[in-house]
Amino acid sequence: MKRLSLSQQRSLTGYLFTLPFIIGFILFFLAPFIQSVIFSLNHLRIVAGGYELIYNHFENFKHALYVDTQFLPTFTQTVLNMITDVPAIIFFSFFAALLLNQKFRGRLLARSIFFLPVILSSGVIAGLEAADYMSNLMREQATNATSFLAGPTLTAFLLQMKIPRELLLYVISVVDRIPEIIRASGIQILIFLAGLQSISPSLYEAARVEGASPWQTMWMITIPVLSPTILANVVYSIIDSFLAPTNALVTYIRTTAFGGAGFGIGTAMGVMYFAAVSVVLAIVVGVLSRHVVYQD
Amino acid sequence: MIGRIRQKIWMTKPTRSVGGDLLVLLLIGAAAAYSALPLVYSISNAFKPPNELFLWPPQFFVRNPTLANFYDLLVLMSSSWIPFSRYLVNTLVITLGGTAGHVIIASLAAYALAKHDFPGSKFMFSLVVLSLMFAKQVTAIPKYLITSVLGLVDTHWAIILPAWCMSLGLFLMKQFIEAMIHDALLESARIEGASEWTIFWRIVMPNVRPGWLTLIILSFQALWGETGGQFIYSEQLKTLPNALSQIVSAGIARAGVAAAVGVITMILPITVFVINQSKVIDTMGASGIK
Repeated sequence: MKRLSLSQQRSLTGYLFTLPFIIGFILFFLAPFIQSVIFSLNHLRIVAGGYELIYNHFENFKHALYVDTQFLPTFTQTVLNMITDVPAIIFFSFFAALLLNQKFRGRLLARSIFFLPVILSSGVIAGLEAADYMSNLMREQATNATSFLAGPTLTAFLLQMKIPRELLLYVISVVDRIPEIIRASGIQILIFLAGLQSISPSLYEAARVEGASPWQTMWMITIPVLSPTILANVVYSIIDSFLAPTNALVTYIRTTAFGGAGFGIGTAMGVMYFAAVSVVLAIVVGVLSRHVVYQD
Repeated sequence: MIGRIRQKIWMTKPTRSVGGDLLVLLLIGAAAAYSALPLVYSISNAFKPPNELFLWPPQFFVRNPTLANFYDLLVLMSSSWIPFSRYLVNTLVITLGGTAGHVIIASLAAYALAKHDFPGSKFMFSLVVLSLMFAKQVTAIPKYLITSVLGLVDTHWAIILPAWCMSLGLFLMKQFIEAMIHDALLESARIEGASEWTIFWRIVMPNVRPGWLTLIILSFQALWGETGGQFIYSEQLKTLPNALSQIVSAGIARAGVAAAVGVITMILPITVFVINQSKVIDTMGASGIK
């Protein structure tokens, strides 16, 4: 057998190591995805012994955009929610992780507490809460109460101050959503913690020897070394916000596909949503990755 | 040794004023209270007798704690058609098998994509990132068709195999490997004659330990709540969440049992989290490079 060159050998290793993943990925993700795109372009009819597809010239997309009255408003609302939530989630989880990474008594307990919302809001437990009679009663009462912190009087008062209006409105909307933000930050805190734990202490030591203040250390060491983790977390938060099963649009797509107007229209909505999420993500990643520092 | 002492001084040196400390403590305390209260409430609920469970306005703490709810749950479990332990074993098989395979396969691929530049690697990674964005509701039907063609319907593999190839794990592991592993470290291992396989297990994996410990929690969390509803039909193969949701589907009549079920399903994920996080070493050894 001919000896492979070094770069060929390296490529071969690359292919071998990715092979198990790629096989599964093609089978369980890529193929279903392509099939979904085909479904979205066709009218799906159930016939004896299976289904048949009739090509219908983007009819499903037109239906979702022009006929369906709920799709577009829910769509824009979902994107707006993501834009307000993600920066807040990143800031909150970053500072929570910085604090939880420090040495103090009961640190493990504190970390567990911040992870609790993730456990509580998943699977069976979320279902239990949704089905519980008393929780539903309480939820009804809670919607009648005024918003979390910034009631209408406070908002009006703040708006009279000489603060940029858009900034203020953003802060108020974030304050209103603090509970959701804490609830959505559990995994991000964990990812940041893992990133922080991998920063070499010798870097801090060197910075200290050079006389850097903690503030400088934070900007010159912690944030640059953590930047790939920050990028990963931003991507994770955007996807989590867009694809959570509780997301209004995801719920709407599900009801359309499996209960309402049919699977074809549902998948057409899904494909458009996918395209929109990809564009948002591409822009965010494109802007952020210029500032990411990799160690090599 | 001196380094360690110095580091200790550095770590414990107060860097904030007392007021700042208090403020931070207050903020984090408030957020922690918000996160912990639902747990305390649901544990307290599980011990409430019916007359306290339906009290309005609801009481936060239980006044006359009782084990009746857990007892009722045990009675329901023992009268079920299939031995209850079977559901638990099914869920454990899916959760442990899925998590282990996911972490290993994702890390292998992530190492190759992060540190080996081979033709098609960039394309592969963009594909993976794109696939993160697809709502799984939309691919549900094609995914079922493929599972059925592969003959996996009504087996645990229908859940375990897709879990192995979730793109999230690959994405996270690639970010961690890129951030934590120096190329110089890999070079020196190659010069010493280590094979890629050895490098992966002896150098890459130990150094990204915080990364895969995090991934274990994520994967465990996702699979533990798996009902398997679309793929598993045989009663003896169904999962714990499935069985438990059947028990509580009787609604208001089983509110007490439902509270007990909630506490029981929370115990294992919380335990796994605590054990897992206590295994993360605080300061990684700088990957041997100074």
